[in-house]
Amino acid sequence: MNQVTVPKPPGRARRLAALVGRQPVGMVFSAPYAVFLAVVFAYPLGLAVWISFHRYFFAAPGATVNRPFVGLSNYTEVLSDPAVRQAFGNIVVFLLVNVPLTVLLSLVLATALNAAIPFRRFFRISYYVPYVTASVAVVGVWLFLFNSTGLVDHVLGPLAPKPSWLVNSHLAMPSIAVFVTWKQLGFYILLYLAALQNVPKELYESAAVDGASRWRSFWSVTVPGVRPATTLVVLLSLVTGANLFTEPYLLTGGGGPAGASTSPVLLMYQQGIEQNHPDIASALGVLLIIGVLIIALINRRFLERD
Amino acid sequence: MKRVYSSAIAVGLSLTALAGCGSSGSTSSATNAHGPIKIWYSNNPQEIAWGEQMVAAWNKAHPTEKVSAEQVPTGKSSEEVIGAAITAGTEPCLIFNTSPASVPQFQQQGGLVPLNKFPGAVSYIQSRSGATAEQYKSSDGNYYQLPWKSNPVMIFYNKKIFQKAGINPDNPPLNTYAQFLATAKKVVASGAAKYAIYPAPTSEFYQPWFDFYPLFAAESGGKELMENGKSQFNSPAGQQATDFWRTLYANNLAGKDAYNGDSFADGTAAMAIVGPWAISTYDNKVDWGEVPVPTSQGIPAAQTHTYSDAKNVAMYSSCKNQGTAWDVLKFATSQEQDGQLLNMTGQMPMRTNLQQTYANYFAKNPAYNDFASAASRTIGVPQLSESISIWQDFRNGWEKSVISGQNSTQQFLSQTAAQADKLAAQPQ
Amino acid sequence: MAHVETRAAARQPQSQTQRSVLRLPRRRPSWRLLVLLAGALVFLFPFYYMVVGSLQTRDNTGLSGVLPNPGNLTLANYQHIDQAIDLGRSLVNSGIFTGGVIFGTIVFGSLAGYALAQLHFRGKGLLFNTMLLVQIVPFQLLTIPLYVLIVRDYGLADSYLGMILPFAINSTAVFVFRQYFLQIPRELFEAARIDGANELQIVVRVALPLIRPALLTAGLLTFIGPWNEFLWPFLVTKQQSMEPLAVSLSNYITTVSAQAANPSGAILAGACVLAAPAVGLFLLFQRHFVSTNLGSGVKG
Repeated sequence: MNQVTVPKPPGRARRLAALVGRQPVGMVFSAPYAVFLAVVFAYPLGLAVWISFHRYFFAAPGATVNRPFVGLSNYTEVLSDPAVRQAFGNIVVFLLVNVPLTVLLSLVLATALNAAIPFRRFFRISYYVPYVTASVAVVGVWLFLFNSTGLVDHVLGPLAPKPSWLVNSHLAMPSIAVFVTWKQLGFYILLYLAALQNVPKELYESAAVDGASRWRSFWSVTVPGVRPATTLVVLLSLVTGANLFTEPYLLTGGGGPAGASTSPVLLMYQQGIEQNHPDIASALGVLLIIGVLIIALINRRFLERD
Repeated sequence: MKRVYSSAIAVGLSLTALAGCGSSGSTSSATNAHGPIKIWYSNNPQEIAWGEQMVAAWNKAHPTEKVSAEQVPTGKSSEEVIGAAITAGTEPCLIFNTSPASVPQFQQQGGLVPLNKFPGAVSYIQSRSGATAEQYKSSDGNYYQLPWKSNPVMIFYNKKIFQKAGINPDNPPLNTYAQFLATAKKVVASGAAKYAIYPAPTSEFYQPWFDFYPLFAAESGGKELMENGKSQFNSPAGQQATDFWRTLYANNLAGKDAYNGDSFADGTAAMAIVGPWAISTYDNKVDWGEVPVPTSQGIPAAQTHTYSDAKNVAMYSSCKNQGTAWDVLKFATSQEQDGQLLNMTGQMPMRTNLQQTYANYFAKNPAYNDFASAASRTIGVPQLSESISIWQDFRNGWEKSVISGQNSTQQFLSQTAAQADKLAAQPQ
Repeated sequence: MAHVETRAAARQPQSQTQRSVLRLPRRRPSWRLLVLLAGALVFLFPFYYMVVGSLQTRDNTGLSGVLPNPGNLTLANYQHIDQAIDLGRSLVNSGIFTGGVIFGTIVFGSLAGYALAQLHFRGKGLLFNTMLLVQIVPFQLLTIPLYVLIVRDYGLADSYLGMILPFAINSTAVFVFRQYFLQIPRELFEAARIDGANELQIVVRVALPLIRPALLTAGLLTFIGPWNEFLWPFLVTKQQSMEPLAVSLSNYITTVSAQAANPSGAILAGACVLAAPAVGLFLLFQRHFVSTNLGSGVKG
């Protein structure tokens, strides 16, 4: 398997290369990963897509059940369900709060960190700690902080919202978005730090020569300079939002109040696992994936054009 | 969710019926097979203790048919664990703590063994539980579960808090809705407790069992949520019970936040609406008293129905040694083991003549007499394959209307009833 | 999609990177410090509160509860957890589960990452796109098909392998590996090939030593997933002796903690126990886990 790349492989070798690539050893190297993806990802995903076009429920190994093809009826059912529309609306609310907040805060904090500042390591650690901690663990604290007898409302006193944060139908989803921002921010700061270090310093210098204020050079040099990172951050936030499950499940008692913080994945879980309607859940999942892919492509076009 | 099932349900049901017939015919060998089996029981300390002694007693007497046991989580997660295990064929022979609401779904999955195929099973079930057994018969006439134990839901109150609020702790006025509301207001206004009562305000499908359903049972004189495939709650009784809770929430007498821990045990709420299983949690913390759930006009305790919060035992279809499983099932629900259960957990075995059979226990624990008496006037959950979806719809609407006050209770009940009727609709 | 960023990063020579870090501080660091301090407060306070709350005899959610009160301190919440669940056993299970995933990711993930970055073979594009797709598909969609596959078809219920399998190679880590390998100049490998090294030797002797920081980054990224994962091990393990910490603690939090003397304290104590190993490991390795690693992986 000792492959040496030759600039122009002659006749037969070229045909072989066209078939398996110039370095087929790559297939061997990536085989475990490819098999892994096929088994634990492609197969279940394919099955989910198949299920979404059939009337399907999970049955015991010995049971004989009929699983007729039902065309798009699971999809129309999903789309006509007001709870689904509400869940997608909630995700929009989530993204409207989470994305700007994440981009703004992580860029500001990364810019502030990008210097020989005292306690730099301490700061970096403190931003990163929420990211490495299990949601199950930190959700517990947030509940204590934000429930109606919690510390936050004690501090706010008469200014505390009524009903309190997590049980207020207008604030539940924004509260979750803030929580997720807090939890993930460390990771995004890291991404921006990496990106900031690659903004050519000459650009700052010429901006300074032109007499630009620091604010101005932030806008005209830093922000465009880290645009590839911003694309990535927006994309990852979008994926996080689309996959939102643990937070509404734990923080707002299963998407409450009255569905104001349900997410599509939470609905999938309720439908597919609790109520044994995997056909509906799969249709919802497929729609969700298509939605994310479309937005990701738009995002890429929009933020990456130069 | 709005789901029209129409023919699919019929197909599913007839097929499972067929599968049921098929399996009872073809696997008659399994019915007689004996050997080691696996069982699961609940994971609270009292039931673990009961389960351990039951298994030990059985294993001592039957060394060739050993039972091995594991705990299964209660509440939120047990349905999904069991449902997934059925799909994979890895469920145990018996699960002590099968929620009756899940039984129709497990049955539809082909995951349950109809107990009828064991000789003498029907008469065993019916003579042990009496008329109550009828509630747990499946729509195809088979028993897929053995009615095991109930936890008649009642109102618990904290005597100290009531005293502090100036309410007579030995005979608190909680019989009618008006009395209950007045008492609740007094508790909160006096500052004796932050809330009068605090049922979980979260959106799990089973939460109505601990707020709406017991009051509906009492108000309607013992109706189930659905009867003969028709919803019963869009009715004066359902309206009364719903409005009662809405008033409690609107006046901030009941908490709207998800709560960590036990609001009654730690004194945040003056009352709780639960069954006797919770007593062990309260015993060293709260000096409690208990009354039946209220009704609009107030009816005597001896006539008040409530929700049973029953947990049953079912046999699962991947079981090989079903003969042993059936013997264990009978052993675990024998008069002796039921007595142990009562003793160790304070939960009510679903047996006729409970108070006479265990007269000693009730003489020693007079407080439990009320639960034993209430146990004879309990209702269960409807045995419909879509029942979990119906409960989830009900809960979603309840949150919107009763807890958050976003739309009228009338609108909520009529909309949810229409959805439930659709879900339950079957041809014929 | 994402690779654009690091490819741009790779274009910048290392020396410039170093300079741009040092360039700014000479002005006025005060506003930076203020912003950073405010940020650190917001980030760390919940953790501080978690520890304080877990030590309270009675829970105090008022303002006075923020400071530890000597009269209200206890270790009882931790004792309660230790009695209710076998902490040591759960920790070992978590360790094996997480260790297995990290092992699989480092060994097979780095190989795949190298192939995706440096080798030309058929199916590369498909593999790369699938790797990206994995990141956006919610796990809940795959849960039950996977469960049936692993538990019914492979009979891996209540086994470490069954727990590990769906997470065995972390796709994000593969992506990170690929990004690092992309930044290594091709000439290095060509030189090794001309010296007669085979591809496996190149990976082990040339490529991996060059991306050592990436191994740590990927290891830590990978660690977080299985260590904190709840739903999957929860479904797969029935025997309590097999449950990882996140599962046994969640069970504790949902069912048993209500019976503790101070349920909220017990929950917070559980949260501390779960958080401590992850935070501890992070503190231990954080020196290696710095931003420069993500941007540019090559030294010299």
